Amino acid sequence: MKAETEAGAVVTATAAPPMIELTQLELHLASAGGEVNILRGLDLRVEAGETVGIVGPSGSGKSTMMMIIGGLERPTGGSVRVAGRDLAGLNEDALALFRRDKVGIVFQSFHLVPTMSALENVAVPLEFAGRRDAFDRARAGLEAVGLGHRLTHYPSQLSGGEQQRVAVARAFATEPDLLLADEPTGNLDGETGAQVMDVLFDLAERHGTTLLLITHDDELAHRCGRIVRLLDGLIVDGGQPA
Amino acid sequence: MTDDSCSGLAGWRLALRLARRELRGGLAGFRILIACLMLGVASIAGVGSLSQALLAGLAQDAREILGGDVAIRIVHAPAGTAELSWLDEHGAVARTIEMRAMALADTTAGGLTLVELKSVDDAWPLYGNLTTTPALPRAALFERRDGAWGAAVEANLLDRLGAGIGDTVRIGEARFQIRATIDREPDRAGGAGLFSLGPRVLIAGDALPDTRLIRPGSLAYYHYRIRLTDNADAHVWTRALEKAFPDAAWRVRTLDNASPQLQRMIDRTTLFLTLVGLTALLVGGVGVANAVNAYLDGKIAVIATLKCLGAPSSLVFRIYLLQILALSLAGIAAGVALGAAIPLVAADLLQGYLPVAARIAIYPQPLIAAALFGLLTAVAFAIWPIARAGEIPAASLFRNLVVPARIRPPPAYIAATATAGLALAALAIVTSRDAAFAAWFVAGAAAAMVAFRLAAAGTMALARRIRGIRRPGLRLALAGLHRPGAPTASVVLSLGIGLTVLTAVALIQGNLSRQITEELPADAPAFFFIDIQPDQIAPFEALLSSIDGVGKIEQVPMLRGRITALNGVPAGKAKVTGSRWVLEGDRGITWANAPPPDSPVIAGEWWPADYRGPLLVSIDGEVAANLGVEVGDTLTVNVLGREFTATIASLRAVKWRTLGINFVIIFSPGPLEAAPRMHIAIVHTDPAVETALERAVTDAFPNVSAIRVRTALDTVNGIVASIGTAVRMTAGVTLLAGTLVLAGAVAAGHRRRVYDSVILKVLGATRRNVLTIYALEYGLLGLATAAIAAIIGSIAAWAVLEFVMGIDSVWLSSVVIATGLGCTLATMLVGFAGTWRALGHKAAPLLRSE
Repeated sequence: MKAETEAGAVVTATAAPPMIELTQLELHLASAGGEVNILRGLDLRVEAGETVGIVGPSGSGKSTMMMIIGGLERPTGGSVRVAGRDLAGLNEDALALFRRDKVGIVFQSFHLVPTMSALENVAVPLEFAGRRDAFDRARAGLEAVGLGHRLTHYPSQLSGGEQQRVAVARAFATEPDLLLADEPTGNLDGETGAQVMDVLFDLAERHGTTLLLITHDDELAHRCGRIVRLLDGLIVDGGQPA
Repeated sequence: MTDDSCSGLAGWRLALRLARRELRGGLAGFRILIACLMLGVASIAGVGSLSQALLAGLAQDAREILGGDVAIRIVHAPAGTAELSWLDEHGAVARTIEMRAMALADTTAGGLTLVELKSVDDAWPLYGNLTTTPALPRAALFERRDGAWGAAVEANLLDRLGAGIGDTVRIGEARFQIRATIDREPDRAGGAGLFSLGPRVLIAGDALPDTRLIRPGSLAYYHYRIRLTDNADAHVWTRALEKAFPDAAWRVRTLDNASPQLQRMIDRTTLFLTLVGLTALLVGGVGVANAVNAYLDGKIAVIATLKCLGAPSSLVFRIYLLQILALSLAGIAAGVALGAAIPLVAADLLQGYLPVAARIAIYPQPLIAAALFGLLTAVAFAIWPIARAGEIPAASLFRNLVVPARIRPPPAYIAATATAGLALAALAIVTSRDAAFAAWFVAGAAAAMVAFRLAAAGTMALARRIRGIRRPGLRLALAGLHRPGAPTASVVLSLGIGLTVLTAVALIQGNLSRQITEELPADAPAFFFIDIQPDQIAPFEALLSSIDGVGKIEQVPMLRGRITALNGVPAGKAKVTGSRWVLEGDRGITWANAPPPDSPVIAGEWWPADYRGPLLVSIDGEVAANLGVEVGDTLTVNVLGREFTATIASLRAVKWRTLGINFVIIFSPGPLEAAPRMHIAIVHTDPAVETALERAVTDAFPNVSAIRVRTALDTVNGIVASIGTAVRMTAGVTLLAGTLVLAGAVAAGHRRRVYDSVILKVLGATRRNVLTIYALEYGLLGLATAAIAAIIGSIAAWAVLEFVMGIDSVWLSSVVIATGLGCTLATMLVGFAGTWRALGHKAAPLLRSE
């Protein structure tokens, strides 16, 4: 990046790399009926600290793109850089460690570990990170999402909204640089969904977390700083920062 | 749907239709259920079939085994002239004499060994054939040629003596040429029994006098086997014999108890193995319950849907009961088929060990019993989970994915479960050959199941209480033991029972072996010498004293006598609480001036050393208590047809394991001294001179037989070890059932483990993290199970050793630790393998929202 100083001197500075940089991203899957092109060479750049809403019809490739950004799926073409790392060079375990340190994910179906209490669910990523204060932080995280009274409950003993708040607390537990949220209110009623989103936006803002939010809800998408539209495996709008 | 269509017969029809539709999905989830039932049913059916086949063989071969329609045995002296002529008048008689003797090879190597000598007359065998290699006519086998009689010997004698066919051996004072080896001796099982101290040597009856082994008091068994004239009833014949000779001291056997030892052995083994099979089936029952639970877990949505569409609980119950029954029947049928085939294989394996050939056939009774056991087990273990699934409200089904609902089935189903359990217990008792023992087993099995259930609950509670663990892998593994839906309870119960049986068996066998060999007193004698004639005692002692390295020599006179009355009451009618063996048949008895060492007098007084008054007797205290006699009472013995009544002067606490000479019954000197007797001696010696000493004694006293203590104990130890191996193999069946349950639990948890490991990986866990967690979890589970099984198994072994066998038990830590570590490792590996498969799953498909 180049900038001109008041004195007229030209200074060359290396700016922080983008949080997400997808280049010509492709994903083709072979199926009985022939090859299916899920992503067809899309480009996306998201800067650190941005909040980006991803919208598009079902089957447009939103979730697949997010899975690739989270290192949960491998593209068949193009490059993926997240938080300065090229994910192509990472094996499964390196990807797990990368997620542990950099990425939090909130799913539409919550995906809590059903045999663990709320507190344990939130503490797990901290335990993997070797944090000695895992449980204290998990407790604080749950209190922050208003679930301080539900610590020992198992997922099946919690309502949908409560489960998703546990998932949010878990996603933020390691203070990730990037939070991926795939339709986090998709399984919740309007009011409960709104509460969860308030918590999520609030935490993202407080931690300065980059937020990538997949949603069908226009109103929700508009709470983000930028909206990216996908159609048929391509980004048709908002692929680059304004 | 109306009430009518869902209840009564119509309800069953509807349930059957729906059940069939659901079963189209395949049997994938039921492999373990089918395998569990198959294993248990096959064990019971196989043991039952084999036992029937052997008993049928025994019944069919009874004449051969007994050697006649009636067999009579007398110890020490042949039957009198009157008796013999009565026998000759009432049937065809074959005469044989059996005794122990020393055989010395006439080869340069000159091997020497103890043999089981049997002389036979021309009439022998009345039934069956003696087969030898080479096959020789009777005359060629036994006749005297060039000063040597012929002999047929068991093949292992050739190895022991370093001799071959055609070589000669010296037995007693006669020479015998080995003309053939014995392939089959028809009445072996009905003669001296299954336990022998040396190889068999068969000689002609005419050759025996030349050996000069038969002397007054020698321990010889005279057998008379009788073939009855046509259509004579053996029992009528026996009664006539008893009437003719009411006081004869002989043992009479007929076809229905041709070989009581063998029959008893088959009966006891069958009982034991059936109970092992039943244990395997009970353990398998846990697998059935797990499989049903896992299946219904996957059917929650279907059940909820059915209930939403109006299916009452009873219909849901029937639909799934029918499915489980259909699958159980498949497992049971496979088990029955496998069990019916077991005798085909086992009979071949047993051929070398048992003197009776199994009659291979399909025996319906054990197969039906095994199928019933399987069906009742399936029902007993399946009703509860099925009834519970039927009772869960439709609305809660959708959320009850993990936390098991604390819903009890309605009382009717609880009663049905209890009925099936009781029917199972009743069947076990009714079909057993020893109802009391089976009842104890049932009680023990119930107690063990409760104990393991409690132990599992304790393990889970302990895992819950352990806090402050920093390592996430260990903490998560520990938490895995008590999580809702954790397989801890079923694995601890099923694997634990198998492991307990194995631990107990290993400990019991270890203790027995230790008792026999390791605990052998340091001053144990090297030899027992038997059949020393009274006039040989002085030269015998002189000879031994002249050999360097020979230590202490003890000798006592020995006669054979039979207790005929206690306090004047005939022995057969005496009320006794135990030790009945003392009253059955001949016992070794002796007389002595002083009490033998290691047997302090605990009641009454020993007679003075120079006592020559009326006959007194001293008895083992425990035996006296069992026979209900005490000091001052009288005891009558029959020695070679003469009755002696003695007053009990003292009771002794006999220590049997010192390997000294001791007797249950010791008389005062005097009246018995006139009776024909022989002496037995024990000799302590330096191991280096054992062979020379044995040779010197045999050379000087050809009629004296030497029993090497170490060899005899090795023989016993070998038998104990073989029995132990067999028992361990059968205990392995129980353990296999436990492993199946473990594998079932791991398989049932597979879906959940795949999901958990994907989520953990999303949260930053590496594959190693996930593997560590599960390996540790299963390792801890195995360790906990092993620890519980070690405790319960040790207690069981201790109880059996102390109370049943009367042996001071020692806790053999290496046995228990080896068994426990094996279990831990196996459990860990099974869990590890399951997790490895789970790790291979891709994350994305599981995480996408449907």
